Amino acid sequence: MSDHHKETFITKYIFCQDHKMIAKQFLITGMLMGVIGMFMSILFRLQLSNPGESFAVLEWFLGDKWAPGGVLDPNMYLSLVTMHGTILVFWVLTAGLTGTFANYLIPLQIGARDMASGFLNMLSYWFFFGATIVMLISLFVESGPASAGWTVYPPLSALPQAISGSGLGQDLWLVGMALFIVSSLLGGLNYIVTILNLRTKGMSMSRLPLTIWALLITAIIGVLTFPVLLACALLLIFDRSFGTSFYLSDIIINGEMLHNTGGSPILFEHLFWFLGHPEVYIILLPALGLVSEVMSVNSRKPIFGYKAMVGAMMAIAFLSCIVWGHHMFVTGMDPFLGSVFTFTTLLIAIPSAVKVFNYLTTLWRGSIRFTPAMLFAIGFVSTFITGGLTGLILGDSALDINVHDTYFVVGHFHIVMGLSAIYGMFAGVYHWFPKMYGRMMNKKLGYLHFWVTFIAAYGVFFPMHFLGLAGLPRRYYTNSAFPMFDNLTDINEVITFFSIIGGLVQLLFIFNFFYSIFKGTKSEQNPWKSNTLEWTAPVERIHGNWPGEIPSVERWAYDYSKPGMDEDFVMQNVPLKEGETEH
Amino acid sequence: MTNILIILVVFLLLAALVQVIRVNELLSELKNQDLNKVTDKDNKIQATLFFLIAGVAYLALVLWQFKNWGPFLLPPASSVHGAAIDSLMNFTMGLIIFVFFITQPILVWFVYKYRKTKTKSAYYYPHNNNLEKIWTIVPTIVLSAVIFYGMSVWSQITNADTSESTVIEVYAKQFNWIARYSGDDNTLGAANFRLVGGKNTLGVDMEDIKAADDKITREVHLVVDKPVLLRFRSQDVIHSAYLPHFRVQMNCVPGMTTQFAFTPTQTTAQMKQQEGEDFEFILLCNKICGVAHYNMQMKFVVETQEEYDTWLTGKKTLSEKLLTQK
Amino acid sequence: MAIVLNQNKTSKQLLWVGIAGIVMFFAGLTSAVIVRKAEGNWLEFQMPDWFWISTIAIISSSILLHISKRAVKNGTSPLVFLLGALALGVVFTFSQFFGWNQLVSEGVYLTGEGSNPAGSFLYVITLAHLLHLLGGLIAISVTTVNSRRGKYTAENYLGIELTSTYWHFLGVLWLYLFFFFNYL
Repeated sequence: MSDHHKETFITKYIFCQDHKMIAKQFLITGMLMGVIGMFMSILFRLQLSNPGESFAVLEWFLGDKWAPGGVLDPNMYLSLVTMHGTILVFWVLTAGLTGTFANYLIPLQIGARDMASGFLNMLSYWFFFGATIVMLISLFVESGPASAGWTVYPPLSALPQAISGSGLGQDLWLVGMALFIVSSLLGGLNYIVTILNLRTKGMSMSRLPLTIWALLITAIIGVLTFPVLLACALLLIFDRSFGTSFYLSDIIINGEMLHNTGGSPILFEHLFWFLGHPEVYIILLPALGLVSEVMSVNSRKPIFGYKAMVGAMMAIAFLSCIVWGHHMFVTGMDPFLGSVFTFTTLLIAIPSAVKVFNYLTTLWRGSIRFTPAMLFAIGFVSTFITGGLTGLILGDSALDINVHDTYFVVGHFHIVMGLSAIYGMFAGVYHWFPKMYGRMMNKKLGYLHFWVTFIAAYGVFFPMHFLGLAGLPRRYYTNSAFPMFDNLTDINEVITFFSIIGGLVQLLFIFNFFYSIFKGTKSEQNPWKSNTLEWTAPVERIHGNWPGEIPSVERWAYDYSKPGMDEDFVMQNVPLKEGETEH
Repeated sequence: MTNILIILVVFLLLAALVQVIRVNELLSELKNQDLNKVTDKDNKIQATLFFLIAGVAYLALVLWQFKNWGPFLLPPASSVHGAAIDSLMNFTMGLIIFVFFITQPILVWFVYKYRKTKTKSAYYYPHNNNLEKIWTIVPTIVLSAVIFYGMSVWSQITNADTSESTVIEVYAKQFNWIARYSGDDNTLGAANFRLVGGKNTLGVDMEDIKAADDKITREVHLVVDKPVLLRFRSQDVIHSAYLPHFRVQMNCVPGMTTQFAFTPTQTTAQMKQQEGEDFEFILLCNKICGVAHYNMQMKFVVETQEEYDTWLTGKKTLSEKLLTQK
Repeated sequence: MAIVLNQNKTSKQLLWVGIAGIVMFFAGLTSAVIVRKAEGNWLEFQMPDWFWISTIAIISSSILLHISKRAVKNGTSPLVFLLGALALGVVFTFSQFFGWNQLVSEGVYLTGEGSNPAGSFLYVITLAHLLHLLGGLIAISVTTVNSRRGKYTAENYLGIELTSTYWHFLGVLWLYLFFFFNYL
């Protein structure tokens, strides 16, 4: 690896097999998609708080067809909701988060020159890029982008007659998703094999930083569940394009009687949620890993209960694969199954509680240094508690009857996996930016970014619980059709106000990011005084990560403020002192 | 023109921002300090901000929302099982609010108290098995209670005795609802989607003798305190029949029949007295079903037996409606 | 040498993890069959006889690939066996198409009026398997060409090893699917 090939622009930035560049490619693509997805949400929030009112911005972006006179078209509303969900869940929080940090941190933190297969890794990015292009193209097709919700339940998603977005837009959505799944499988294979095989000398599994554990577990559930989504999508493609009846039965649509009999839309839901629920943890686990690392470094304390943290993540990952039915309590499922799924679902609260208490104990008697990354990590704990608790209501089949598919659900998952994961991602970006680009991000802009985000995000999502408890269903173009929701206008206005604020401040982050790439102050090699191996590598980006030998590992990653040591951190490659015991 | 102006303004803002940062950087260079180094002053400010915003303001605003928006929430359930759901909800809600108001203040307090200062250093504390056991076991015990309580309510709802229930079909299609009463025999006639056409909007099989006395309506009337069994079908895509006031929800899936049994306990008149004159029981669609998803509704009326009888006898049976034409 | 060993190990593991993914893909599809079948309205039909030929073809080509691996280990040329395995792979492909033809003539359709998910599942799942098998055919072709060029030695035959692992997996997968549809 040390033999340097001549780098041209193409091999360096485009068909690059270096894990660090691929990570940046994922990050920047994810950020771009994040801006698009977030902007969509602001567009439909305008309609929700001011139904039927005209907004220049809507007409400007959507044109006469989808916002005649500046009023959002109901078809376009559903498309925006669908694409917002798809983009945020898959593009930003799956590929943007895992793709970035798995690629960046795995080789650097385990002490490897690169991924097991640089070629597969490059392929993974380019499949993702292709998926991105297809998804973006679908925004511009004549009949509109997919609009059956990000869960694309058939028959709505299977029949172009049912909704205009189920035409070409839905086809492109499915193609885009198929490419995306291939991309994340290729990525996942690589992450698993790299972690299992390419650890440097001394890096036993019990010395792995929690980030790596989280990414490993994420990759495993990804490899096991994404193929099922592919199978699910394949059958949907056949139903849409070739007239099979896997999901379709006894349908009359627009006065036309379809020939399909014997299919079952519920089958789709089972297959979809078999991925769909683990997907939540594919999003959340990397954030848990990043936060653990950031929190330990910045409170200058070892993460409390390392083994319990790993065990909890494994338990969460395992349970996540057997709880999918809680999305289907009101599909008329067998009541006994309903009980089983309630049981397994609520069990997830136990490892989650362990994690929260371990985080709190990590902070206890720490010496907390408030970097922007640390603020986001603490914010993560706050949202993880707030959002996690309402899960107790939604996971309970009896309670779910009345809050299923209401805004209560929207509030819950945006806080527990949307905000938590994005906070984890921000924490990661702020923390590892000096490593990635050799420069620091501006601290003051970072503080501003955190505080406005924190306030605005709770301002958007906390009130949604009240909408839900008032019985307001999600994905309603307007709630003005029902007098019972008339008094909810205030809440909707509050939400929209904060969503605009929260959206704008993200632009500040983007600005800070790009400004700092070029103009940020130069960073030291180990600016946070951190223990993990990546900080032993030089600031300059080189192929193979370390100029000479790869450092070997002598201790775990969390020797912060260990009594009897010279400094309040001891890097992983420092041998144990005489008489010193490992934690 | 406005577009150009907007772009111009954006550029000016960006340039201004860059200048502000440059000036900041130059100043700190003059003072010979690293702009992005986290100082003790930063720690103090951020910790205090965290205390004020995430601690005081956030928790106060949560309380404020409960106080101000609490009245907008659904009124107490108007059905027998709904009351059980409500108590379970109150129990769970009480529990999570309790945990919320313990853990969030702990978080805020630790973050504030243990901020970095010159004098304090961190305490090396990698693990404590007893502590970890405590917070595995205590949540397990609490959750067992939640799970057990939840399951018992769930089985009470799903195993409801329907032998005495009035059977009513609720048929969903883009974008409205149709109801079918099962008539004197309390049994719905068979139906098949291939028979849908003309006046036979639900595809009822008129050769089935049980179909003759079925009645099709555009509103559902129920008798107070009398159990009812709703059976759901859909014509096109998945819909979800959602009756928030009764705590009833069930998906309507094309190709299959689903059902939900409940007993209303409040008449519409009683609810109007309690909630205001505009109150109606409403059936909403709660599964994205197409462009007019947001406006797919049907009125439910709960009334006394006499009112109900008067209303229902006025309706034509299916045999009168469909067969007399021939 | 250490690097080669390491590469051997990671390549094999990459393949095995990939195989785990493919297993989940087919597990998803076949469990869909089970769930769907339990709901009734299920067309019962005979598996086409051609699929027996497919079974024999894929088993024997697996055996040939195994022999070619042994051959290269012993330092003899595996070329003949690789060509044989490739030919049998092609036989498998064609027997699939003939099998589908037979199904159609028996009135089991993939789509349209009169089709039943029972039939559609069989078509889609065998098609998905065949697509994975095409990958295997390409791999065997590449190894055949490489072996013609004398790329493999008794020390270094990773290509053949990976290909035959994947191919054996496809064979096992086919046997699973075959028995699943025949006897379940």
